[in-house]
Parts: sequence; structure tokens; C-alpha cells
Amino acid sequence: MNTRKLALLLLLGSVFAPVLQAQIKNIEMRVEGMT
Amino acid sequence: MKQHLGRQSGVQKVNVNLIDGKVDVTPKEDGQIDPAQLLKAVYDSGVTVAEMDVTVRGKIVKDAAGNLLLQVSPNQSFAIAPNDLLKAVEPLTDSPAVVTLRGELYRKPAGKKKAAASGPLKLLILEVQKKE
Repeated sequence: MNTRKLALLLLLGSVFAPVLQAQIKNIEMRVEGMT
Repeated sequence: MKQHLGRQSGVQKVNVNLIDGKVDVTPKEDGQIDPAQLLKAVYDSGVTVAEMDVTVRGKIVKDAAGNLLLQVSPNQSFAIAPNDLLKAVEPLTDSPAVVTLRGELYRKPAGKKKAAASGPLKLLILEVQKKE
């Protein structure tokens, strides 16, 4: 039972880890011609 | 423009400063946002983008042609423009290390009044904030 839980945990970790690890945090632009 | 940008996919919040012309875009939690799409959205609203900077977290990888990329997600990566700061992160290529960088993705070519971005955006590293 514990082995199955551990396997499930590892599977979920491998799915969600890339999303948590890498991403765009902020975008800043300087624009011209804005009224 | 603020409303137009706010409707783009992956955008959580948009702050516009009319005095200095700065537009700050906060992506949603998952960080799945396309800077090229934002650039186009700004142009579509009749405003010229002078420059676009990003703070981004990702892995340094090498493509088949030997160019270095910052892999942000399995389906999103940015080619990295060579400069001195690239040398600081180059040893992390294809390692599991995650870096947080601040960089310039777009700058309007000098002398042009209005110029849309052509070709894929390249990341020019301005600051290496974190290596994990």
C-alpha cells in the first residue's frame, strides 16, 4: 500500500514539478505614444 | 490598452504608468504567458513598444544546432543572445539547475517610429538573480 502511495506521489511530482520550477514571473514594457 | 492586455491569455494583472510609459504585466500563477502575443496586443492597440523586459525562471538547455535556450516550460523556450552574463549560466547547460534571470526580450530598432517584432524573441540577459 505504501509503495503505491509513494509511486503516486512520484508521478504527481514529475507532472507538477516543471510547472512549479519554471515560469515567467513578470513582464515590464516601456511604451511610446500612449495618450 | 490596459483592457486589451488584460484580456490576453495568462495575464493576471496589468499596471500602466502614464507618466513614464511603463506597463507592468503580472502573469497568472502558472506563468503560462506568451510575451510575443503581448507585444502584438500592444501594437494592435496603437501604441509602440520601445522595450520589453522579463523576469523569468527556467533551465538552460542546448538545442540541436548548439544554441543556448532558456526553457521556461516543455513548450516554451527563448533563445539567449550571447553576452558576458551568459557565460555565468552557461556551465548549467542541460543540468537540472533552475535559474532566475532578468532580461530584455525586445528593443525597438533605433530610428524606427513603429516596428513590430520580427522573428522569434531573443533573451538578452541583464541580471542573473538566482541559481538553484
